[in-house]
Amino acid sequence: MADYWNRNRALLITVAIAFAAIAMVARGLEPKVWLSVLLSGVTLASLYFLLAAGLSLIFGLMDVLNFAHGALFVLGAYVGLSTSANPRLLFNTLPLFLAVAAGAVLAERFGVHLWRRVHTQARRRTLRWVLLVLAVGAIALSARGFPIRRINAFNVTAVGGAVPTAEAQEPLNLMIRRVALLFLSGLPFGLVLAPRERQQERPRRPAWQTIAFVVLLLAIGLFGLWARDAGERLVLGLSVDMRFLLAMIVGALAGAAAGTAIEMVLIRPFYGNPVTQLVLTLGLSIAFIDLIEGVWGEEGNPPMWPPSFFAQPCRSRSLLAWFTERCRSIDVLGRAFPTYRLFIIAVGVLVFVAVGLLLKRSRIGMIIRAGVQDSEMVEALGINVRQVFTFVFALGSGLAALGGVIAAPFLGVYPAMGSIFQLQAFIAVVIGGMGSFPGAAVGTVLLGLARAFGDHFVASGLQLPFLEEPFRGSPAIAQASTVLIMAIVLLVRPSGIFGKKE
Amino acid sequence: MTSVLKVDDIHTFIGQFHILEGVSVEVPEGSITVLLGRNGAGKTTTLKSILGLTPPSSGTITFNGEAIHGQHTHQIAAKGIGYVPEHRAIFRDLTVEENLRIAEREKGDLAKRADLVFDIFPDLKRLIKLPGGNLSGGQQQMLAIARALVPDNRLLLIDEPSEGLAPVLIEQVMECVRQLSAHTTVLLVEQNFVMASQLADRYTIIEAGKSVMSGMMAELVKDDEIIRRYLGAT
Repeated sequence: MADYWNRNRALLITVAIAFAAIAMVARGLEPKVWLSVLLSGVTLASLYFLLAAGLSLIFGLMDVLNFAHGALFVLGAYVGLSTSANPRLLFNTLPLFLAVAAGAVLAERFGVHLWRRVHTQARRRTLRWVLLVLAVGAIALSARGFPIRRINAFNVTAVGGAVPTAEAQEPLNLMIRRVALLFLSGLPFGLVLAPRERQQERPRRPAWQTIAFVVLLLAIGLFGLWARDAGERLVLGLSVDMRFLLAMIVGALAGAAAGTAIEMVLIRPFYGNPVTQLVLTLGLSIAFIDLIEGVWGEEGNPPMWPPSFFAQPCRSRSLLAWFTERCRSIDVLGRAFPTYRLFIIAVGVLVFVAVGLLLKRSRIGMIIRAGVQDSEMVEALGINVRQVFTFVFALGSGLAALGGVIAAPFLGVYPAMGSIFQLQAFIAVVIGGMGSFPGAAVGTVLLGLARAFGDHFVASGLQLPFLEEPFRGSPAIAQASTVLIMAIVLLVRPSGIFGKKE
Repeated sequence: MTSVLKVDDIHTFIGQFHILEGVSVEVPEGSITVLLGRNGAGKTTTLKSILGLTPPSSGTITFNGEAIHGQHTHQIAAKGIGYVPEHRAIFRDLTVEENLRIAEREKGDLAKRADLVFDIFPDLKRLIKLPGGNLSGGQQQMLAIARALVPDNRLLLIDEPSEGLAPVLIEQVMECVRQLSAHTTVLLVEQNFVMASQLADRYTIIEAGKSVMSGMMAELVKDDEIIRRYLGAT
């Protein structure tokens, strides 16, 4: 018993505090109001969690505070929106990204032959800058005149609406020229990333595999260009549900790809230099949002259409009835609650269970848990921990982007949508304990509830026994409540509820 | 007698501090070689330099006839070097079993070596489901050494296994090291000279970042003058 208490002290204390808090605030609240506020809180918690899970694992494993996480959330939302509403943008830009990646992969594989011929440090440094300027120049050249606005003009292809005409497409020969130019610009990028000495080489694929991979990347891109009209009609012809599913998959994959690129290009050269990494991710988050505004505009979009399961204008009596009626809202003890929010909660729970199982049951999960404590020792066991770093960065970024997609029908899609969620996710991670996965879950639930109950009391007041009128907080109090919780938790447990790292 | 490991005149900087200023060590196959020297002489840094955790800026390190300096730590370790660091560095959140399993280089390593591991460390068998953090200091040390035995390593680097343990436990740990040396070659760092002298076949003395002497242990124990000068003990 004492042993059990010691091992689960953090969890038990949390549960006790949560119960006490809920019981306290629930006094004087009708059960139906109480329950729907609770569900709203868990909805928020679910979205916070999709960000916090990645933040926590990335910090725990690599000591990187990823300030670009909120930007990845926004990226997911926009890519998801484009996938379901305007796939033309994706069909026309995916080949460009693939071309850069193909060039970089090719040059990275063979770059050592170049670097071995350049001997002095000074010459290497000069060459690196020359290569970077070349790469950026080539990208600028190929992006010149890219009609992003025209391609994006179909941002609101409504369900069943007209498919944009083929005439508005960028001419194919121009696109292929851009692909070629971007492939060339990928080459100097790859050279910069390539190992400098033969001895530092990673164990590598044989040359033919690299070449086959590069050809495959280019082929996928060119196929996408060739089939862009048919593909667009295909996607826009799908049902809303399939389009939403596609949006979730493509959005999450885009986030994971962006995360992989960020880790490999910007984070990896600076391990052991956390301040540089922090400033880099901070700058990146600003650049990312500007880029998103450049591509999709600053105005923002109304909420994306939810899947048809949550769209019928009616109110289901119970969950069972909802399965057949697919109503927009559901009856919770006599009060209407949007069903789409239940979906958000379900995704959050699903991700929690899936990532939890990955951490607990798989070998890579075991390596991640060990690496959170001591990544140097993991490496000394003969495990390529850098690969695991990249995997975790990609996973965390993908989850953040997935969060963006599922938030899109709830919040709308606009460039600033990520900032408040990133802040709350940071606070949740600090409360739960940096690097602790269950901690991230507990922290987000605490914050989500605090936020929802705080907002409720600002709106309707708190009935206190010694006051005639209900006590009303200012809106600032609801916002401050999360920071207040953080302050209290940190006073009691400086390393967070589940924290072990000092 | 062939050498498993040959360290030749390595220099290592940590930040701008010149920690190793020329260390050479040779570890013959099947032996226990001990690095002796005062606190801060550079014994631990020597082990870390071999593994590439603090890569040497010059000099060569040869393992099994292959130059390994300049490679990544995980590549070096995967060639067959096990590491038992100072302060043990077992994974507190992983169970004892997971602590052993994570060291597998190929699936099934643990199953193959279980007999050997649990023969030397019978205690671990009954602790197998406990989190590593719940183990006592002595048990953690056993686990850290056992972990290095899971893959078929040709060389173990063991850093101060007696540190912070009660005398009776030190005896136990040393007995384990003696037993496992029948299966693999060991390069040991040990402050406790009495222990080291009973265990090791060969020694290298490191003084202020330089290796100053090496030879057979049997001869060193007879030479009080050298022991006093470099180790401050008798």
